[in-house]
Amino acid sequence: MAVDTATAPALLDESAVARKPIHGWSLAVLGALMTVGALTQLGGREVLFRLDQTSPGAEWALPASFAVAVLGVLTALGGALMVYGIQRRFHKTVLAVAVTCFALGLLLWAMSPEGVVFRVEAILAGALFLSMPYIFGALSGVVCERSGVINIGIEGQFLMGAFSGVLVASISGNVYIGIVGAMLAGSLSTLLLALMATKYQVNQVVVGVILNLLALGLTGFMFDQLKKTPGYNVAASVPVLDFGPLAEIPIIGPTLFRQNLFVYVGLALVALVWFLLFRTRWGLRTRSVGEHPAAADAMGVNVNRLRFWNVTAAGLISGFGGAFFTIANSLAFTKNMTAGLGFVALAVMIVGRWNPLGVLAGALIFGFTTQVSRYLDTAGNSIVPGEFLQMLPYAVTIVVVAGLIGRAKAPAADGVPYNPGDK
Amino acid sequence: MQLELRGLTKKFGSFTADDDIDLTVEPGQIHAILGENGAGKSTLMNMLYGILRPTAGQILVDGEPVEFSGPGDAIAAGIGMVHQHFKLVGPFSVADNVQLGREHTRGAGVLSIRDAREAVREVSERYGLALDPDAIVENLPVGVQQRVEIVKALSGPKTELLILDEPTAVLTPAEITELLEIMRSLADSGTSILFISHKLKEVQSVADTVTVIRRGKVVAELPPTASTAEMASAMVGRAISLEVDKTAAEPGEPRLEIEGLTVVDDQGFKIVDGLDLTVHSGEIVGLAGVEGNGQTELARAVLGLMKPASGRVRLDGRDATHEPPAERIEQGLGYIPEDRARDGVITEFTVAENIILNQYRDRPYSKRGVVDAAAVRKRAVDSIAEFDIRTQSPTELVASLSGGNQQKVIIAREFSRPRRVLVAAQPTRGVDVGATEFIHSRLITERDTGTGVLLISSELDEIYALADRIAVIYNGKIVGEVDPDTPREVIGRLMVGADADAATEADHAENDGGDR
Repeated sequence: MAVDTATAPALLDESAVARKPIHGWSLAVLGALMTVGALTQLGGREVLFRLDQTSPGAEWALPASFAVAVLGVLTALGGALMVYGIQRRFHKTVLAVAVTCFALGLLLWAMSPEGVVFRVEAILAGALFLSMPYIFGALSGVVCERSGVINIGIEGQFLMGAFSGVLVASISGNVYIGIVGAMLAGSLSTLLLALMATKYQVNQVVVGVILNLLALGLTGFMFDQLKKTPGYNVAASVPVLDFGPLAEIPIIGPTLFRQNLFVYVGLALVALVWFLLFRTRWGLRTRSVGEHPAAADAMGVNVNRLRFWNVTAAGLISGFGGAFFTIANSLAFTKNMTAGLGFVALAVMIVGRWNPLGVLAGALIFGFTTQVSRYLDTAGNSIVPGEFLQMLPYAVTIVVVAGLIGRAKAPAADGVPYNPGDK
Repeated sequence: MQLELRGLTKKFGSFTADDDIDLTVEPGQIHAILGENGAGKSTLMNMLYGILRPTAGQILVDGEPVEFSGPGDAIAAGIGMVHQHFKLVGPFSVADNVQLGREHTRGAGVLSIRDAREAVREVSERYGLALDPDAIVENLPVGVQQRVEIVKALSGPKTELLILDEPTAVLTPAEITELLEIMRSLADSGTSILFISHKLKEVQSVADTVTVIRRGKVVAELPPTASTAEMASAMVGRAISLEVDKTAAEPGEPRLEIEGLTVVDDQGFKIVDGLDLTVHSGEIVGLAGVEGNGQTELARAVLGLMKPASGRVRLDGRDATHEPPAERIEQGLGYIPEDRARDGVITEFTVAENIILNQYRDRPYSKRGVVDAAAVRKRAVDSIAEFDIRTQSPTELVASLSGGNQQKVIIAREFSRPRRVLVAAQPTRGVDVGATEFIHSRLITERDTGTGVLLISSELDEIYALADRIAVIYNGKIVGEVDPDTPREVIGRLMVGADADAATEADHAENDGGDR
């Protein structure tokens, strides 16, 4: 072993100049259209930014046609660069910048009609708030998939949590007991998944789909039954924590220091799961079980037991996330109120590359998109129909997952059942 | 540590993998266990290491009976194992791999990276096994990964017995020499070693005692001075010829011409990098190289399973670069793939179905789109006889055959059409000595009928036994084409891409060969 064998094979030269005509032309055309559109259509319109909570008077107007035209030019420029040919290692950056410019341009355009005001603080605070279900769902997914079990049933755990949270809170009269109930309900769902995945080694995707349908049917049925007897489906809420003077700092105050309890739990959970995964014995073993269970087994780690408990525990997180839909929003339960966000959380997990910090970034993008689409929809006067705006988060999912992230690497043993003695 | 096995038996249903095995490993001894694939070696080791529970029998450590309910118990008893298939977590650092299962913590389960690093340094210095604790394992060469496995095995609380399961299978000749030296020095410092292998020369050179296992039973205890022929006969249960008889090659016109072939993987790596190689009719060209240097992708590109980024593949003089695989097969390209279970056979199909996989559309096997079962069966019966496939019937599932017999099914299929070119990738991997003998003689026959044979093998012995010309591949390029009488060390150096010196020496060897 004096000689190290096999140096890495020759890489395609990253500094070589290469073209990407399809992406390039698309961006160039879109950017050009946006520029022309901005200059001809937006006339004297302005986009109004307002610090609506800390200092209601503060406003800033941006000439819409100028700003959108600049962003359009930047988009087109990025596209042109890709058509002309640039060094390979800059491709992703240029693509990301151009797409971002285009998206911002669209956003400003949508904000430009008379009477629409970009209420900075309300929108940012709302974006953080709305990113919470994605954070809880995706973190639950991260814990499961890092252990090697695919959790496609996040949606079902959300429903179980949303329903049970309100039910338990209504019965007990204590919202916190309700939240614990939501967590246990989510965990009950993942307990089934854990059992199927470890003891019975059933295909985990199938189990996940069935658990989703089961949760949908079960909560729907219970909802109908409880409608007949009032008092079991009563909206409850948790307090908004206000950090006093900190909350008065422009922009970041209302966003970070005057939020619902759920937001602080979510942010703390991101840090906690990251620390546990990457800095503790439990995390090392969990990751090894998800990557190479046979290696963990050979070192005396009980693979299936660890998977079982991790998956069961992950349900506590997604169940908590379920309570967001009802308790954090002060709403009573309604059928299918999670509206597929559990699946978006799954996408957030992939966008975040199975890493809690990545999940945070992904969830914020999705939360912001959701918030903007809702805001524009309610602000009325929008030039884009509301249905299209509601599609925005999903469209962003497709663009981000397919275009910018490309092939993300899942834990190697994700979804593969383990039998002691396997190689 | 003294380790004794008494009447150790393992049954899987009605199948007995290990039957009444008695064995004693003395302290500081290298005890080799020799046996063919499927002889029960791995099952035995898995019982020793607590992965499998014995059906009957006892394991004694220093005279005391022990029972292992998992690898953790075996590790605690002082047994360390280096697995044939590395049990390393690729994205982890060396230190994390070594500490997995016995983590260094600062209390409350929080890892101490510094302690883990220090522990690796300590062990690697004590045994002279250089390692960077922070390197990510999947970026390391195979030989170094194995070093990680050894350090991991030695890092147990009191490792006194090391099990090495087929440790040389993935190593270069230089790495093998070094590993054998490491084993020797470990034994000299008192560690007992159980060395599982089917490579006779290595066993001869390093073992103190040799136990031969066949079909789950101990059939012989031999001294390391026993001849390789004696060992091979004990393994197989009959006299066996280790030499391949062949006459000088009579190369004719070029059959397979690879020109400037470049294959890029999905991450943008040039796996095959401007490779040139020609195989003529009536010769076997042996492609030697450490695995993972582009052999797999080269074979797949020749067959048409991978699209080359640039370059040409000519078959029989025509440009086949853009032909689909079916067309190439139609025109006389035969292929024995390296990954038998994935690319070679459909394990859930019967023997007969696998044998006609490349002809099922043609008469007489199907008429108007309906398969003629009688014709298929007849053909299968003939092939089973001709290629000596050990199966209960043509309708047995291929999954239940041994590796050697699966390989014979592939050969029976590929040899059923008239061939111009044959690409044989690792044709005897995981195949027992008896079947190897058969496969080698078929390859020679194939050459003698005028086929151009490209033999891709990571076993230098096999290359030397069969090849008329040896090309060495390194990093996706041919780094030397030499005669088969070139010394091993020269080829070994070429295989690891060691400098221009080796290349010039190889040139000399080639010239010398030319003078012969």
